[in-house]
Amino acid sequence: MSAELRQRTERLRADIRKFVRTTMPADILRKSSQHLMLDKSEYVRWMRALQSKGWAVAHWPREYGGLGWSTLERFVLEDELGRSGCPWLIPFGVKYVGPVIYTFGNERQKQRFLPPIVAAEEWWAQGYSEPGAGSDLAALRTSAVRDGDHYIVNGQKAWTTYAQWADWMFCLVRTSRDDRPQHGISFLLIDMRSPGVTVKPVRSMDMCHHVNEVWLENVRVPVENLVGEEGGGWKLAKFLLVNERTYGSGLGESRAAIARLRALLADRNEAAFARRIVELELRLLALECVSYQALADMEHGAETGAEASLLKIRASEMYQDILEATVDALGYAGIAYDPDTLHGEGPPPLGPEDAGGILRYHLYNRAATIYGGSTEIQRNIIAKSVLGL
Amino acid sequence: MNAAIDTTADETVAMLRDGIERYTNEHYSFEQRWNALRSSRGYSEQRWADYAEMGWLSLRLPEEAGGLCADSSTTAPLMEAVGARLLMEPLFMSAILCTGLIRKRASDQQQAAMFPMLADGSLRLALAHQESLSASAEAESLGAIACEYRDGVLNGSKQAVLHGDCADRFIVSARDADGRLRLCLVDAAATGLSHKHFRLLDGRGAANLSFNGVRAEVLAAPGPVEADTEALADALDEASVALCCEAYGAISALNATTQQYLKIRKQFGKIIGANQALQHRMVEMYMLQQEVRALSLAAQQALDRREPERHRIISGARAFTCSAARHIASEAVQMHGGIGITDELDVSHYYRRLMVIGTLFGNRDCHLDRFASACRRGGL
Repeated sequence: MSAELRQRTERLRADIRKFVRTTMPADILRKSSQHLMLDKSEYVRWMRALQSKGWAVAHWPREYGGLGWSTLERFVLEDELGRSGCPWLIPFGVKYVGPVIYTFGNERQKQRFLPPIVAAEEWWAQGYSEPGAGSDLAALRTSAVRDGDHYIVNGQKAWTTYAQWADWMFCLVRTSRDDRPQHGISFLLIDMRSPGVTVKPVRSMDMCHHVNEVWLENVRVPVENLVGEEGGGWKLAKFLLVNERTYGSGLGESRAAIARLRALLADRNEAAFARRIVELELRLLALECVSYQALADMEHGAETGAEASLLKIRASEMYQDILEATVDALGYAGIAYDPDTLHGEGPPPLGPEDAGGILRYHLYNRAATIYGGSTEIQRNIIAKSVLGL
Repeated sequence: MNAAIDTTADETVAMLRDGIERYTNEHYSFEQRWNALRSSRGYSEQRWADYAEMGWLSLRLPEEAGGLCADSSTTAPLMEAVGARLLMEPLFMSAILCTGLIRKRASDQQQAAMFPMLADGSLRLALAHQESLSASAEAESLGAIACEYRDGVLNGSKQAVLHGDCADRFIVSARDADGRLRLCLVDAAATGLSHKHFRLLDGRGAANLSFNGVRAEVLAAPGPVEADTEALADALDEASVALCCEAYGAISALNATTQQYLKIRKQFGKIIGANQALQHRMVEMYMLQQEVRALSLAAQQALDRREPERHRIISGARAFTCSAARHIASEAVQMHGGIGITDELDVSHYYRRLMVIGTLFGNRDCHLDRFASACRRGGL
């Protein structure tokens, strides 16, 4: 990265590292750096610790409680936090629906919903995908029919991460049928305690509970919970998806993962494995350079629009490959699995303390190339928007 | 896609294959498998009893004991079914691997006692050989064994014994006072034997074993003690061949289900299989399946060959199969999208079973090294 960019970020990096040493709850950090499962109270404690520095919503405009940070500063924050083994920065409120509300919502909605997001008092879920609408999100069928001053919502959402903890769900619903499926979609805020809302757990192959189906049966949603125009929700959905595909996610995590892999092999004399790690580090170097290049391009308004797709493809595939190599390095410890020890209640059956967490993370992150726009979709985006194919 | 390896005119093998297919179709669908998976044993006692009745547990016994004296080619369809149906019972470990060792190295007296019990399923055996967590170093290097057997007493420990949690008896590799490798028989309930049971990633059970002054007998076939080493080496090669077959079964099932999914899943108004990119990737999975099939067959036949050809083919097959399986498993999950990540669908179960297969009895690095050294010795 350019010397100028580096200087600007050094001070911030030092602040973040100090935060990790002094403010970050040590018990949570131990669990997250071992890839153990956190519960809701731990995630809330983490988000509040982050917000004690103003960082959970640092990218928000100052008028809504943010610090007005640039993309570069947001990138550095996530890079350093990832590098340190901090937990996932829960995005649903602070990155997804919060910015939608302050960009497209009315004053009432801003005042009602933004402060509890900042304070991590309300937990949000993302009601986007459906069984028949994965990559083809516009094919969604959850319907919202106007009835006086309510919408009656019927349908089924899929892959709703941590919906079991959610107070609210931002939901893409179909308010009218149209020749073009993108028209007729609306952005509704749904209280998860409403009658007719049922959350059904879906177990992932890591044998843990992350995602759910959310069934909506005749759920009455006040019209005031419509954000933006009725039928104008696709614009909000796309706005949010751009934020979902944030720049540079995963760089810090990958760096931490490679360091762990190196440590696992430190005492061993395996030339083939050593080579394999070097190849991964080379890809990490490329990812780092292209990330900072993208940031610099953004500053000069020179971005192509495909940067987010490229970074998502490379970062997710690389992270998967690092985790796979780490599981290989565990040997027999990489095939023993006890889901009961994944919340930190005891050592895994074989191997080092974090063997179970590493294996869990490897299994769970098979989804990294599927969620947030699959690799196939990202390649299509690049092909179409940049290469004109 | 037809998953059958059937190049032999051998009627017995064909009948066995048919019987296995009919039985598993009726009793071991993925839906039916949940009972076994969720049971406290991790496998179905009922299915195990059925296997005994159908003669599957006797395959490797001599004809006098009601078996077929089966070699790896004959047991191949069974191992394929273990992979294709994700069978949970200790077929590989007990009925194929350990039964073979008993046939080769047990005394007449030991065999007379054990053969009937192996046949009726009341005796389950597990081979306790692995001592470190490493799957990549020459882990089965017979020179690395530290367990000691002196004056009829076993001391030491073994790690990650497949089905070690349900075995009635163990065959344990250990060194005698002269440093020679011996194969010992130990009761699971023996005094001084402590164990830690756990599950593997694919739901099958395993155990770490600790021997503290445990009484044990050796497999007492007449002849030189060195025959134990040779028999163990053979058994480890048989394990490799069996694991290739199991992987082939799993790969075939995964390819079939993925191919099907490409034809029925619709997004953007068309089936996802209409995308040429996915067609080409599915073709790659198909080609790898054909290669694994051919390599498995070659590996079965290589058991009759001499070094270095034997290891060139067997370890070559293992190494190739490990990476083919990894690729296919990852692609199958990816092509299924979100549902491929769930525990509910079979795809992730195949993914996890193939991870285990890729580590047991030497991972890809281990076999690639052995393949390389066999190539060098063979002047290739």
